[in-house]
Amino acid sequence: MEAFIQPGFWIFVLALAGIYGVFSLGLQIQYGVGGIMNFGHVGMMAVSGYTIAVLVIKYQWSFWWAALLGVVLAAFLGALLGLTTLRLSGDYFAIASIAFAEIVRYWILNSDDITGGTQGTLAIPNPDGFGGYTDQPDVILNWISDRLYPIIGDEASRDLSMVLVVWPFFFLFIWISSRLQKTSWARVLRATREDDDVPRSLGKNVFRFRLQTLIIGSVFGGIAGVFWALQFALLAPEDFLRIVTFYGWMILILAGASRVKGLFIAAIFFGFLYGATRFLEFWPLSLLSSPERAYLRVFLIGLVIVLLMVKRPQGLFGKRQEMILE
Amino acid sequence: MENTNMLDSAVLDVRNISVSFGGVKPVQNVSFTISENSFTSVIGPNGAGKTSLFNLLSGMNKVDSGEIIFRGEAIQSIHAHKIAQKGLVRTFQGAKIIRRLTVAENLMMAVQGNPGDNLMGFLNPRARKSFEAKAREEAMRRLDQVGLTKFADEYAGILSGGQRKLLDLSRALMADPKMLLLDEPFAGVNPTLVEKLLTVLAALRKEQSITFLLIEHDLETVMNISDRVIVMADGKIIADGLPNSIYENDLVIDAYLGSRRKDA
Ligand SMILES: Nc1ncnc2c1ncn2[C@@H]1O[C@H](COP(=O)(O)OP(=O)(O)O)[C@@H](O)[C@H]1O
Ligand SMILES: [Mg+2]
Repeated sequence: MEAFIQPGFWIFVLALAGIYGVFSLGLQIQYGVGGIMNFGHVGMMAVSGYTIAVLVIKYQWSFWWAALLGVVLAAFLGALLGLTTLRLSGDYFAIASIAFAEIVRYWILNSDDITGGTQGTLAIPNPDGFGGYTDQPDVILNWISDRLYPIIGDEASRDLSMVLVVWPFFFLFIWISSRLQKTSWARVLRATREDDDVPRSLGKNVFRFRLQTLIIGSVFGGIAGVFWALQFALLAPEDFLRIVTFYGWMILILAGASRVKGLFIAAIFFGFLYGATRFLEFWPLSLLSSPERAYLRVFLIGLVIVLLMVKRPQGLFGKRQEMILE
Repeated sequence: MENTNMLDSAVLDVRNISVSFGGVKPVQNVSFTISENSFTSVIGPNGAGKTSLFNLLSGMNKVDSGEIIFRGEAIQSIHAHKIAQKGLVRTFQGAKIIRRLTVAENLMMAVQGNPGDNLMGFLNPRARKSFEAKAREEAMRRLDQVGLTKFADEYAGILSGGQRKLLDLSRALMADPKMLLLDEPFAGVNPTLVEKLLTVLAALRKEQSITFLLIEHDLETVMNISDRVIVMADGKIIADGLPNSIYENDLVIDAYLGSRRKDA
């Protein structure tokens, strides 16, 4: 249990929460405002993360340009997903979106020459023979740690620098998104969540609103991918399994899908759950092997979602009234 | 030459339209012309194809054949939202409201040309806000008209059936229509309110020169307000004329008695 009183543990939790928080911002605007059930969100994160790794390692791009292009590609992929499948009704779109993210992952898995395949980005063929891509941003992260070292000593870790970089962005994005959700654009979008015919009959191009929403959400997914790539400094296909999308959904359901501002608390709770399951070594959990305990995380997160659905469908911060209107 | 003259004053010209779904043919070779600022009611028994006709006019379903000309432009193959933008606006049978928007928001979402509906408008908060303020003002005026002011900031989902009808009608008006298609706006509304609504519609016709096409189940209700009645049965127009002439029409009596026999 002493792991939980280590600052390092909480710093890791916060770093993770920030990244997943930005990730879930995408789902929040898509589902919480637009009613679009995207179960392939992890694909956007994979695309931007891998874009960085491949361009920096294989083609010696600058990290910054690669990150920018990664986010643009995530947006582009969101548009592609939307243009091909968003005209399907909700349930079918949800299924198509899962398939979409799986296609992205299989492509990464099977393109050894470009992505390093199963072995991850360390195996990307490159002139130096070393598969790192974070040299440029590390200068900044190190600069931050160096400033903090005289004050807090060994706690001045790379994780802490990540927290200090990611969280201001996270709050900035929450602010932008909440502003966006107060516009008349979002009002129409909320209408489309309930009914297509009414906005159509009032001259609103429902498809355009949905497509825009999918793209905006994909940009958040793409940015989360940049942070992810930065945090872990190497990527492998199994980082982008379907379950990652559902981690984002858990944060969303926990916060209440229509309340963007509660998202950061839900993200911290998720980060804790995610980080803590590694340390649950007391009996009887100590009987489980460590990979088995990793599954415990998935189990716990599923349990939290189910309990919420039963006890508090509006989430911790949502309005109950919205759930019961006929 | 008389022909062109007639078309000049026609807002809506429906030419021989048909639609079928599988074996069902809800609208078969229907033609009629609606002149500017007129008030026409479409009546007919349940299942006659009245709502299906509106779905075609509003572009929510597409015709299999025939043409729909609105203010001189063929609209039978353009998107529903574009048709609404041109000023041909419909309401729905049973009143569709957005439950999780407030009553005022339901109205405000209907305004046309809102810079805030466009993502680019996000970057121009001043234009967005002044437009929004005007939309809110107009919404409050419309709510006052139908006596819903005190619900302005409540979720529309709490409204009763009759109140939803009023909201639905006010919302269509917010969209700045040249012509309104109202699908059974009086069904399930109490008689006093029906009287009031009829007065509101008559006033709108006069003050905003809106053209009305209205579906009603019951001929009595729309007798006085209509200057023309179209009767549909089994997907076809079986009578079309002055309200009084409809009363004496044998086909109409048959259609209604026929449907009553089925109901019994
Ligand atoms: N989209 C559709 N698919 C299949 N059948 C339809 C569709 N729309 C209408 N119908 C059928 O067309 C007929 C006319 O229905 P409707 O237009 O609703 O009549 P009304 O409004 O006059 O009561 C009904 O038999 C209905 O079942
Ligand atoms: Mg009907």
